[in-house]
Amino acid sequence: MKRILVIVLFFISVFSFAQVPAGYKPVKDTTAFKQKMEAQSKLINTLESDFTQEKYLSVMSEKIISKGHFHFKKINMLRWEYNDPYKYLIAINKNKMYIKDNGKLSKYDINSNKMFKSINEMMVNTVQGNLLNNKDYKAKFYENDKFYLLELTPILKGAKDFLKVIQLYINKVDYAVDKVKMIEPSDDYTSIDFSNRKTNQAIADEKFIIK
Amino acid sequence: MKNLLLSSSLVVLMLTGCKFGHYGELIKTTAGTDYPKSLFGDNFNSFLFKTNISVYNKNFSGLLVTKQLSANDYRVIFTTELGMKMFDFEFKDTAFTLHYCVPQFNKPKLLKVIQKDIETLLMSNISNKRQTHYEDKDGLYRVQKLEFPKTENYYFTEKSSAQLTKIECAKKRIKNTTFTLSNYQNNFPDSILIQHHDIKLKIELNLLKK
Repeated sequence: MKRILVIVLFFISVFSFAQVPAGYKPVKDTTAFKQKMEAQSKLINTLESDFTQEKYLSVMSEKIISKGHFHFKKINMLRWEYNDPYKYLIAINKNKMYIKDNGKLSKYDINSNKMFKSINEMMVNTVQGNLLNNKDYKAKFYENDKFYLLELTPILKGAKDFLKVIQLYINKVDYAVDKVKMIEPSDDYTSIDFSNRKTNQAIADEKFIIK
Repeated sequence: MKNLLLSSSLVVLMLTGCKFGHYGELIKTTAGTDYPKSLFGDNFNSFLFKTNISVYNKNFSGLLVTKQLSANDYRVIFTTELGMKMFDFEFKDTAFTLHYCVPQFNKPKLLKVIQKDIETLLMSNISNKRQTHYEDKDGLYRVQKLEFPKTENYYFTEKSSAQLTKIECAKKRIKNTTFTLSNYQNNFPDSILIQHHDIKLKIELNLLKK
């Protein structure tokens, strides 16, 4: 019996070890990390950055790469714009969502649609690094010399069908999210790298009203 | 009232004329035994399209990518611009595999229609179909009619450019879907429009990368 227990414990420890991403170790004091993230997030009123999105599909030989720019303003204003290789704009202004595709503008009430509501929460929280407070995900915290790696596993059945895990790479210098990776159950993924980040520069409210 | 009736009859006549009488004007020819050549069977390349699917009052936009995996094996994946996968189809020989689909598309009738549309566009597995050659009455287009179990497809190739510009799917000689292929660059159309006439479904594909 004792031997079986030892074997079971061995496999549990190996399994747990295997879960830690390569090059990372678990964060010891997660409370301190969360407090620091929250404190940093409170300091941000506006944010803008370039982004590069990569879509990896296992059957394709190349990744699909799209580039763009985003603006964010507290409390709930976001302008997420693709410029290359196509033009596509999604903007959130409190309860309104705008989509401009090929010059055609559509407006939606976020509260009227569950999907838009979750897109809004996901995008705003990702940009702000606030996903760690979301009760719909189970969080694990890792770190290496340069980054904290926050792994979020969805708990809800609907989300689990299309999302295995979200990885947020948070740099240790200013606690900013440098990269987001959304991995699907099939291991295909979407990763978004942020660059040329500017914080707390004036952004007019008009930027979030799309005409 | 009489005028209204007359103009309505005219409109009905014109519409049925467009759909039904269309094929009656084709002139049978004996030229050629070759089958329409697939646009996608090109050295196992992948094709990326900015895509819009309008179905009844819903609109889905995103990126559609096609990849030829082997001679008769194609994978077709549709994702949103933000990267969320909407559907993942595989067409291998005559078999169809649904690898993944979000609930919005997971409706048997809708899936079947989209599957048929993509199959028609890929033009694989057509060389065993019975074929008849025609040309239009002005002699500008070569028209190849291929017979499928429930439908017949007409492939219109512009004689002057040798470009496939239109595919029409018909049932008992009544057109139900038109594929318009335009803005050719390097032997591939930049724009593909799939318009259904019997249901409210329209698929627009604009080539981003080949």
